[in-house]
This record gives sequence, C-alpha cells and structure tokens, in this order.
Amino acid sequence: MFGGSVMMGAQERLIPPSIPFRFFLAATLYHVAAWAMLLAGAEQLPGFTGGLGPLVAALHLLTLGVLAMTAMGAAYQLLPVATRRPLGPAWACRLSWWLYTPGVALLSAGLYGGSPAAMHGGGTLVVAGLAVFGVLVAGNLRRTTDLPAVVAHTRLALAALAGVAVLGLVLVIDVGTGLLPDRGAVAAAHAVLGGYGFMGSLGLGFSYVLVPMFVLSQGVPDAPGKRGVGLWALALLLGVGGAASGMRWAAAAGALVALVAVALHLRLLARVLKTRMKKRLEPFFRLVKGAWVLLPASLLAGVALAVGAPAEVAAPLWAVLLVPGWLLTFVTGVLQRIMPFLASMHSGGASGKPILLSRLIAPLPLTVHAVAHGTALALLTAGAILGNAVLVQAAAGIGLAGALAFVLFAALVLKRWRDHERGNNG
Amino acid sequence: MGDSISDIGGDDPPAWLALAASAEPLDVRPLLAGGEDPFSALLERADKVEFGGLLVVDAPFNPAPLRRVLAARGFSSYGRRIGLGHWRVYFHLDGGQDWERTAESDVSPEGAMSWREEDGLHIDVRRLTPPQPMLAILRILDSLPAGKGLVVHHDRMPQLLIPELAERGWCIARVSEEMANIQLWLERVG
Repeated sequence: MFGGSVMMGAQERLIPPSIPFRFFLAATLYHVAAWAMLLAGAEQLPGFTGGLGPLVAALHLLTLGVLAMTAMGAAYQLLPVATRRPLGPAWACRLSWWLYTPGVALLSAGLYGGSPAAMHGGGTLVVAGLAVFGVLVAGNLRRTTDLPAVVAHTRLALAALAGVAVLGLVLVIDVGTGLLPDRGAVAAAHAVLGGYGFMGSLGLGFSYVLVPMFVLSQGVPDAPGKRGVGLWALALLLGVGGAASGMRWAAAAGALVALVAVALHLRLLARVLKTRMKKRLEPFFRLVKGAWVLLPASLLAGVALAVGAPAEVAAPLWAVLLVPGWLLTFVTGVLQRIMPFLASMHSGGASGKPILLSRLIAPLPLTVHAVAHGTALALLTAGAILGNAVLVQAAAGIGLAGALAFVLFAALVLKRWRDHERGNNG
Repeated sequence: MGDSISDIGGDDPPAWLALAASAEPLDVRPLLAGGEDPFSALLERADKVEFGGLLVVDAPFNPAPLRRVLAARGFSSYGRRIGLGHWRVYFHLDGGQDWERTAESDVSPEGAMSWREEDGLHIDVRRLTPPQPMLAILRILDSLPAGKGLVVHHDRMPQLLIPELAERGWCIARVSEEMANIQLWLERVG
C-alpha cells in the first residue's frame, strides 16, 4: 500500500550467484589474456590505424572479454533489484554466457590469426550471446518508471549495442569478401559506437546507481540525469555519423558535445560524493576517480583526431585513453567492489550471518593491481605518443602483472566466501 | 469514535483532531486482505476533500507512503494504532504547513517516516527510490542507542542492504511478508 507496486518476493528477483560470478571470473581471466596478447602485439601499436593481428585481438579481449562481460554479469544481478522487475529465466542468462564466452575466445583467435572462419563463428556466437542479453535487459526495462536516468542510459546502450553488433558482423564479413568501400570508416564508427555508445552509456548510467550505493549517498536527481543522456545521445549521433561518413566536423562536434555531457555527469557525481555518509572512500575509488580523468582525456584525443592531428599518433592515443584508460580503469574499479559485495550479499544462507566485506577484500593484490594498471597506462600513453614499441612492451608486461594480481584477489574472494559458507553449514 | 485510542507515539495530538470525532473512517483492511491495493481509490477520495475537511482511514499498518503523498497535497496527518493490525490515520486538509511538528512521526531527509510502537522504533521506506531506503535505514541505525532494535517496513527484501548491515554489526533477525508490506526486524549481532 499505499504504494501501488505489486510485490515480488526478493528471491524471485535475485538470480543465483553462479550467474554473475561466471561472468566476473571470465572477465578476470580475459583481462590476463588481453594484456598477454598486447605483449605479443606491442610492436603494432605505434602508428596503428587499423588491420588484423594481435593488437586488434587484444583490443577485443578487453572490450568484449572484460568490459562487456563484466557489464553483463552486473546487469543481470543488479538491474532486477534496482528496477523491482523480473529479468527473465536464469537459464537464459546462462545461455548468454555459454554463447558469448567461447565466442569471444574464437573471435579473438580469428582476429589474431586473420582466420575468416574463426571470425565468422566467433562473431556469430558473440552477437547471439549479446542478443540474449539485450532481450533480457530490454524486457526488464519495459514499463520501468524508477530511476529514469539509469533506464534511459541503459536503453541508449542497448540501441548502441545493436549498432555495434551489426557493424561488427559487417566488418567480419568484409575480411573475406572486401565488400566495404571504406573499411576504415566503418571500423571507426564501430569503435565509437562500442566504446562510447554501448560501454560508455552503461558506465555512465550504472554510475548513477553504483556510486551512491557504494558511498552511501543521495541518488542523482532525475531531471539533470535525463538531460545528460540526451546530450550523450546527440554526441553519439554526431560522433558515429562523422566517423562513418568521414565528416570530420561532425565527429569533432560529437566529441565536444560529449565533453559537455561528461562535465554534467561529473558535476552530478561530485554532488553525490559531497553528500555521502561514508566519509572515507574505499580503495576501489582511486580507480573510479582515475577513470573520471581519463574519460574527458579520451574525448580530447578524439577531437584532435577529428580535426586532423596525425592519425599515426592520435588514433592509438585515443584508443589507449578510451579502452584501457577510461573503460578498463572504471570497470576494474567497479569489479573489485562488486565481487565482494555480491559475495557478502549471497552469503550466510540459513544462518543469516553474511561474511563481512572487509573479510573478503584482500588489499595487497588490489594495491599491486592499481599501481601496475596506472604504470601500464602511463607507459602505453607514452608509447603511443612517442611511437616507441619498447614502452608498449613494458606497459603490457606490467599490465599483465596487475591482471594476475587481480586474479589472485578474485580467487581470495571466492575462497574466503566458500570457507565462510562451509563454516556456516558445518 | 467508537474505538478506544491508545497513543503509541506518546506525542500530544494536534488540535484539529477534535474535528474528527464524528468522521466516518474508511476501512481499507478488507481490500488489502483481498489482495487489492486501495492507494488510487484513497487518492481519489482525498481529491474530494475540501479545505478544512477530513479523511479518516483504517488500515492494517501505518500507511506511511500514503501520508507522505497526501502531505505533498496539503494534508496534515496523525496516526494511531488502536489494536493489533489496526491503525487509524486522520488526514486534515489544512495546507500541510508544519504538519511534521504535530505528527506522531518523524520524517528523515530521505523521506522515510519513523514512529514508535511497543516493540520499538519503526521506519517505513516503501515507495522510496533506491538508494534512499538504504540511506534512511543506515542513518537511523547509526543513531540508535545500544540494545535497541528497528522494525523496517519495506516493499521488497533489501538485498543490497545486507552487506552494509553486516559491516555495522547488524542483521535481519526476522521477516514477515504481507500485502504491500514486508516487515524486517533488525537487531545487533551477538
């Protein structure tokens, strides 16, 4: 009452922990694979403006294997709780993982070796997995009236996902057939739509739920949140249109509009931080703050690229600041907070005694990861600007060490959670 | 009024309550027992009340979300529990100025209403948008003296709250689920 919503038992909304955690663990392992692949393809980065090989494989291991994989696991777990609507059957979530996870490996292998068959097979599996994800999330958002800014960002992300998938498949088909007159332009539109459209929109929208939840603060007001998504959509339209058509002014205008949207976004989140109940920010927040710096930096690099800066420098710099920069920094920050949080939430069972977050989190591996990630990014940026492959190799090696530290962190979360559950059951 | 009124809140009732002596209560308990949510019907009924008029509602629990919504429409309200599973809430259309001062309830910065009953402090966070329920609950827990528990009225099982409760040394000791009202008894661990 006195409220109107039809109640749904919480257990019906809460999907089993095995679903989000299979995505998170796959993301953790693909994180290692991505840095290893970059190590193999480090020489390609300076001056890179397109083509197949280990560098593109590393890029897709990051975007699909880490970023989208994490987003899928988090969305499956948190969206139904946040929107108070069911997501769909658990088997469909599992199906998306079974389609998507091997698809990422196969597609990356195809991109690495230039095999059209592996690219076609992997691309098809990836698109099928993402399609299941898209249908489930779209169904959850239908008729949802709560959290309008989050819902609008997620809908925009789904629309972008459809575009990314179509352009991705077209690019894969083009490898064997050469049907595209300007493959570079389509690849650029695919990159903008994937980075800022799908992952970017999800990252911006989920921030409006996750940041207030983790720092215990008031949520973002609806009206400016919705204005922000409108600006972001306009920026995407201009950016993708400009990249696809070669109209540089449109791409530059898109990046500038995106900068305005980002300024609004960061202002809203600054207000969230100002009114927080948790006075001491947890260690994961150092990565989130780093991501907030890297996002506008990537857009500035995009403006430089659009207005005619040398593509051999500006293109790899933009890609570094966007993917391992903004997106990976943000996602690994969220992942290191969300894994122990969900483990604690699902723990306790019949005893009703959940394991403490502070017991699940091992700080040392996270510090190693944060230092390694920051160092790797700095070296990657320098390598892209100076055209120096040795710097890129060093970055990849250090990034790989950080990713392995992250695996150790995830393994410790799982071990401590399992020990707690055994103690409760015994 | 027929029923005897026991003042759960312990606060002095507002002066306008005397006007309600002859008002016929609208009992929504049968509707709720039948699985029907009377929220819209009550809002329609409230729309017909003229300035200075009253609406009296009998409900199985303190209808905090309704009180918040009607407060925004200019109604002051005052609620009392008059028996097990029986609340009577008086609404007075007076502009709602300063109604919280004379109400038996407090309203948190997040918009959650809290009041006292025999079994302790209650807070109603139904219909608040996330993360407001979590904030309201944690804020009130942080201010509770040792040995005191809290009864939360929610419209869902607050899964995301569980890790934060554990970290603060609290747990959900008991849950009861009724139509549109999940009650959670929060206690300190140990």
